[in-house]
Amino acid sequence: MTKFNHTIRHTYFLAFIIVAVTFLTSCESEYIPDTDASQQEYVVEGYIEVNDNANPTFILLTRSIPFIGEVKADKFTELFVKDAKVSINDGTKNVELTQLCLGDLPPEIRDAAALLLGINPDSLKSDICVYVDLFEQINKREGGKYDLSIDIGGKILTATTTTPRRVQLTDFVFKPTPGVAIDSLAQLFCTIEDPGNEENYYRYFTSSIGGQFVAPFGSVTNDKIFNGKKFEIPFNRAINPGEDFDPFTSGYFLRGDTIVLKACTIDKDHFDFWSTRDFAANNGGPFASYTRIKTNINGGLGIFGGYTATEYSFVVPN
Amino acid sequence: MNIMFRKLFLGASLIFVAHFAISQTFTLNGYVKDAASGETIIGAIVVDEANPSQAAVTNTYGFYSLTLPSGKYNIKFSYIGYEDQRFEVDLTKNTNLNVSLSEGVVMQEVIISADKDDQRRNVEGTQMGTISLPVENIKKLPAIFGEVDILKAIQLLPGVLSAGEGTSGFYVRGGGPDQNLVLLDEALVYNSGHLLGFFSVFNADAIKNTTLITGGIPANFGGRLSSVLDIQMKEGNNKSYEAEGGIGLISSRLTFQGPIQKDKSSFIVSGRRTYILDLVQPALKGGNFEGTNYYFYDLNTKLNYRFSDKDRIYFSGYFGQDILKFSQPKRDFTFQLPYGNKTGTLRWNHLFSEKMFMNLSAIYNDYQFEFGGGQSNFVFNAFSGVKDWNLKLDFDNYVSTNHTLKFGGNYTYHTLTPNTAQASNGEVSFATTFKPKYANEYAVYFLDDMKLGKKWAINTGLRLSAFQQVGPYRSKITQDSFGRFESAKIYTGFEPRVNTNYMVNRNLSIKAGVAITNQYIHLVSNSSSTLPADIWVPSTEIVKPQRGVQYSLGVFRNFDNDNYETSIEMYYKDLYNQIDYSDSYINDINTEVEDGFVFGKGRAYGLELFVKKAKGRLNGWIGYSLSKTERAFKDIEGGRWYPAVYDRPHDLSVVANYKLNKKWDFGAIGIYGSGKLFTPIRGFFFVEQNLNLFYGPRNSERLIPYHRVDISATYTPRPGSTRKYSGSWTFSVYNVYNRKNPFFVNFDTTTDFAAGTTKIEGSQITLFPMIPSITYNFKWNQK
Repeated sequence: MTKFNHTIRHTYFLAFIIVAVTFLTSCESEYIPDTDASQQEYVVEGYIEVNDNANPTFILLTRSIPFIGEVKADKFTELFVKDAKVSINDGTKNVELTQLCLGDLPPEIRDAAALLLGINPDSLKSDICVYVDLFEQINKREGGKYDLSIDIGGKILTATTTTPRRVQLTDFVFKPTPGVAIDSLAQLFCTIEDPGNEENYYRYFTSSIGGQFVAPFGSVTNDKIFNGKKFEIPFNRAINPGEDFDPFTSGYFLRGDTIVLKACTIDKDHFDFWSTRDFAANNGGPFASYTRIKTNINGGLGIFGGYTATEYSFVVPN
Repeated sequence: MNIMFRKLFLGASLIFVAHFAISQTFTLNGYVKDAASGETIIGAIVVDEANPSQAAVTNTYGFYSLTLPSGKYNIKFSYIGYEDQRFEVDLTKNTNLNVSLSEGVVMQEVIISADKDDQRRNVEGTQMGTISLPVENIKKLPAIFGEVDILKAIQLLPGVLSAGEGTSGFYVRGGGPDQNLVLLDEALVYNSGHLLGFFSVFNADAIKNTTLITGGIPANFGGRLSSVLDIQMKEGNNKSYEAEGGIGLISSRLTFQGPIQKDKSSFIVSGRRTYILDLVQPALKGGNFEGTNYYFYDLNTKLNYRFSDKDRIYFSGYFGQDILKFSQPKRDFTFQLPYGNKTGTLRWNHLFSEKMFMNLSAIYNDYQFEFGGGQSNFVFNAFSGVKDWNLKLDFDNYVSTNHTLKFGGNYTYHTLTPNTAQASNGEVSFATTFKPKYANEYAVYFLDDMKLGKKWAINTGLRLSAFQQVGPYRSKITQDSFGRFESAKIYTGFEPRVNTNYMVNRNLSIKAGVAITNQYIHLVSNSSSTLPADIWVPSTEIVKPQRGVQYSLGVFRNFDNDNYETSIEMYYKDLYNQIDYSDSYINDINTEVEDGFVFGKGRAYGLELFVKKAKGRLNGWIGYSLSKTERAFKDIEGGRWYPAVYDRPHDLSVVANYKLNKKWDFGAIGIYGSGKLFTPIRGFFFVEQNLNLFYGPRNSERLIPYHRVDISATYTPRPGSTRKYSGSWTFSVYNVYNRKNPFFVNFDTTTDFAAGTTKIEGSQITLFPMIPSITYNFKWNQK
């Protein structure tokens, strides 16, 4: 259905292009908006993942970037906020997270950690610090509720998330790509059996040949249209960082690859963040109005979200 | 005693008879028509030359009624662009006089010999913020791609703002685009734009007259808060067959009209179609986009039959569609996007007496938007639309020269289909569960326009309206179910309207007015412009009716023996139950639109200056508005007042036509306006390694000011030719000095993962630079 929404958006954009190209009249010039640098906000990113393979819980705490044209790696590391007090309450105890700076780690672990954070280790010129549940004290369980509290020199940020119960996927099948089939690629379908008595929200990630998990565009959905039904839906391969989008091949899996699909249930606030994020990112063009990304962080931006995840591993058949 | 009594009786009788003789009045009435085509003329002036305050104006159907004491009169009939007709009338009984006016003889020095009665209305009428534009005047203005556009012409009037460059959408005095009542022969037109609003649906060849009311909306109109745009179609030539048309860069037009039975009945059929993408079809063949096309067309038609001077019927119809087809055969991907309006109006005019005119209309209108397509087994289809059945009864009672009453009623049955969608993948299918909504809308009105002595005139009106949501419906709040036609929710509206005019002297008047208006059907756009997919929604248990109160005050002054009309108008408007989407709204097919709404209030105030020279070799107008428009919504930024997207403080339009000689006509338009508001990006943040935007306060930044000049020249090789066939060339240049007006601002981020850099660039897109165009117009008349 998200695909459907995209199609509608694309239609407008296409119609606009037709207008523009038909008349061969449009032109473009640089626009530099007024910048209010004082409007820097704190940004939180952290997840509680119920999954046997999950990493320890960590929280990234950064500042937002004012409109400055280009963000370079050295500036990027300066965005990380150090020396904050970060704690998570799992319902029974309060766990204080440990500040861990990449510079304190041996180079090989540092590289692994950087990759985990999605940062190119070679580009790190100064230090990055994150807040980690080093000893895995947080009780991560299905149906859990977690309260995050951050104190940055007296500035308090808070957030709450939950880990909803698991929903299984079944009947995995790889089909030829639609239209004139591309032999080397396949499309993945699986069936979801949605519990009928509640609102459910889903997000998924894919990983190819042992790479990191990446969420494809439009990775979240709610069950409004298939509430309580058994429903077959296509899953897209995520575009890896640095990979170009190709409208003819993107979303399909390479035959022969080993892939992992990570399917998660999430709560409404968590869903709202990603759905508004995806909509905002896709909502460009001449007729679009802005979309404010819904955050569950009181006092800041970003997301503190819970995942109840299941991983499914396949070799894409030749 | 007896004699005394008799004398007294005789005296009293004489006084009574004398009084009766003095006060005995008769009515002169009839229709005013164009001599060549038999087309009725709207807004023609009928005046007693000896006493110009005794005057009448023809109504929408060309009917007038002038009640005068018995006596001999020189009655003059006039209309701008036409030669006057004078009749000596001995009014000793009620008299029917139908008059035909001929178009003015175009002479070298004096262009049009019309008199000044039309200009008198600027000072003498009670109505404020009302401008009538005959389509012939609109045709003289420069037009983008040579496409004459009524909606773009009205955007040049003070108080009216364009919804965006090149678009036919408009905002009036701080109101939203859904707050304009757009009527085509009384039928409501829900979507007045083709091609995402770049062209209006009104084909100028089929249109006779356009009237815009932005001030106190009179009580005979209702259902919208901000304005009335009343468009009348031509009736068709009832004297001889006639064809006219034009060949333009992107579309062509053809109109055919003529008598069915000479002087008694006539027809007109008018069509228009774009073809520019048809021309590239051969180039698309065999490629990735084979079968992709876009076009729109309009078809207007009207028939009328005159049974007698007392009875006449009209049927008018409009049918228009936009069709976008997109096809990628190699991906087996295709979609179609057809949308358009259909309207039909059947009217019966009946004269009960010389003073009592009746019109009964049965109207159907329909707007549908569809969107369908698929890839392989996946097929989807979405639909939304609105359909109305409307019955309307209006009476005009011309009590006396100084007193007119209008009253009537209106009933509409609405069917509004929200965003329904179906999709299927092989054997599995799903559909949205949103059901159409049904409603009855009722209104009765009474309007009294009266002159009180020589100084005062007052126009009072009252409209009582009601809106009833009916079943089948299931309440979202109480979960109660309502059967067919069962009432689920009722709203009522008490809508008084008052306009007064105080004549300070012959050339100067002061007018003031208050109008309360209710609106029961709404359209909320989540875009910077209105789009065909935007959905009309009714008032329901969740959505309350919009309500507006407008106060206006104006000073009207004519100069130079009525050659120049000027006015200064001020207004203040309060708007209640305004509707918008929240900041984080997602255009999600799974959510019913009304569930994404937030509700708030609005206010708007402004000052409008208008100077018009209607006649002479050089004519035109200058309009300027200074205004402010704000909204406050509890759920948007904590309910603070913020400028509405329609807020553009300065708006200046200069319009000029110049007739050099019989062969050459020139036109020019100059526009200056404050830039459009937008919500600025305040910065970026990283989540999942991606840059995300965050925004500053809503509508807190403005694009650079908008300005441009357009010019046109019309060349008529054989003016005044008596041949059957005549033609003219129109050359126009849009945006003469190639001003790069921003249409919108776009932001792009480029991340170089290897280098660890991310670049954010903003760009400003200009859609319409300098555009020259040429159109050939032709006319054939059987004669």
